[in-house]
Amino acid sequence: MLGPRWVYRNVTMALLQIERMGGLAGFGGAGAHVRSLGQLETDTLSPEHQRAVEDLFKPIGKSKATRICDGFRYRISRTLSGITETVEAPEEMVPAALTQCVKDELV
Amino acid sequence: MNPSKTVSHPRRSASRRDAANLLADPHPIGCQCFIIPADVLERFAGDKKLSAEQRKGFADAAKFEKEWRQQRLAQIKHIHAAQSILPTGLTAVGSAAAPPAILVDDCGHGNTLPGTPVRNPGKSPDATAKRAYVETSAVAEFYRSVFGRNSVNNAGMTLLSSIHYSVKYNNAFWNGSQMTYGDGDGNILIDFTKGNDVIAHELTHGVTQYTARFANVNQAGGLNESISDVFGSMFRQWQANQDVTQADWLIGKDIMGPGAIARGFTCLRDMSNPAAKHCMAPQPTTFSQYHDGMDPHYSSGIPNLAFYKAAMAVGGKSWVTVGRIWYQALTGFAPSPNMKMCVFANRTRSLAAGMFPAEAAVRSAIDHAWTAVGL
Repeated sequence: MLGPRWVYRNVTMALLQIERMGGLAGFGGAGAHVRSLGQLETDTLSPEHQRAVEDLFKPIGKSKATRICDGFRYRISRTLSGITETVEAPEEMVPAALTQCVKDELV
Repeated sequence: MNPSKTVSHPRRSASRRDAANLLADPHPIGCQCFIIPADVLERFAGDKKLSAEQRKGFADAAKFEKEWRQQRLAQIKHIHAAQSILPTGLTAVGSAAAPPAILVDDCGHGNTLPGTPVRNPGKSPDATAKRAYVETSAVAEFYRSVFGRNSVNNAGMTLLSSIHYSVKYNNAFWNGSQMTYGDGDGNILIDFTKGNDVIAHELTHGVTQYTARFANVNQAGGLNESISDVFGSMFRQWQANQDVTQADWLIGKDIMGPGAIARGFTCLRDMSNPAAKHCMAPQPTTFSQYHDGMDPHYSSGIPNLAFYKAAMAVGGKSWVTVGRIWYQALTGFAPSPNMKMCVFANRTRSLAAGMFPAEAAVRSAIDHAWTAVGL
């Protein structure tokens, strides 16, 4: 069985691309003039945040409903060994290091 | 524990074990709440069998309780005054119940809810706290005096708002039990409490949660967001005593930052013209453009436009006729988490006929409005 250390070592090689979406202002929607993008490498994250990211990409976690109305959602793409996976998660499930790396801008 | 909050089932004969439990309860904020009677708090505050720390906690709570009751009495007077000038034919059916307590907490730019309680928020030197309190009180009054609704659950549920959430946070949200407001980044968007329609929008999510329970995805999500925009705009019009021709029908006009205004954006959304270029987030205008998976803040443009068209066709004050039909469509039926837009449209058509049987123009206005958006 593979433990957390295995997860930690593999995640350190990944690039994360993050987009903040939704909210009251409809970030990132079709035709929306406000976008919020960012990216970071997972080896810059704390082990705790790396594990949180890994949890987001677990199949069981891919259906992430929320009761929050107008809450932000984050589309997170992870490129690992040439393969890119994408998940969407509500803000409350996303580590602060990821939510803080995006920059809001008008387009 | 924050002793200023409320706990369920107060007992005037509470024991010291109860007292310790009250102090130890980390989650004292329930939905259905009663304040601990002042005499109980004062008795515990002077009970030398309790620790000094516990006695101090109860003494603080007793002091806050008095302030809270004074605030509440002032609210009741205000609401009675509002009810005395209700439009003819409207009654405030929930008026016998106590009005909701309005609380404001300050997150201090952190991300932990609810934050630290703001004492006397209506008189706070922090303009954001004062606005959150004043406008939330006004929205509660709007629901009570126009629709006879007592808070989001129609049973006087405490309305809690958290302000200064996170850092330069460009959002506001309803999390299932309270409202939360960011300060904006100061460029694209500014302090979200500056939008009276924003505050009504968020509070209305609570009303929807306790009534129709629309989901926040697909068609039900679009309706959920539209209901919040509709009642947000209606509140804005009611507060300014505007008729439908005077209303701006904009959502988020007052939270646009200088950077957005410089780019020509005057609002987040425009109910009268959802696809307009001056919207920061333009929307579809007909149901033919809809598909599942759309952001509900996008698909809400369709029912938003239908409400606008119906209100304009009927004329007068939006909340008097068309608003009442929308309110009844939202609150007068069993919960429908997966509501479809066409079902909601037909519901308002039926209600128009039932609520205003002598006014064919109302039925026609609503029918044509939905038809115009493809529903």
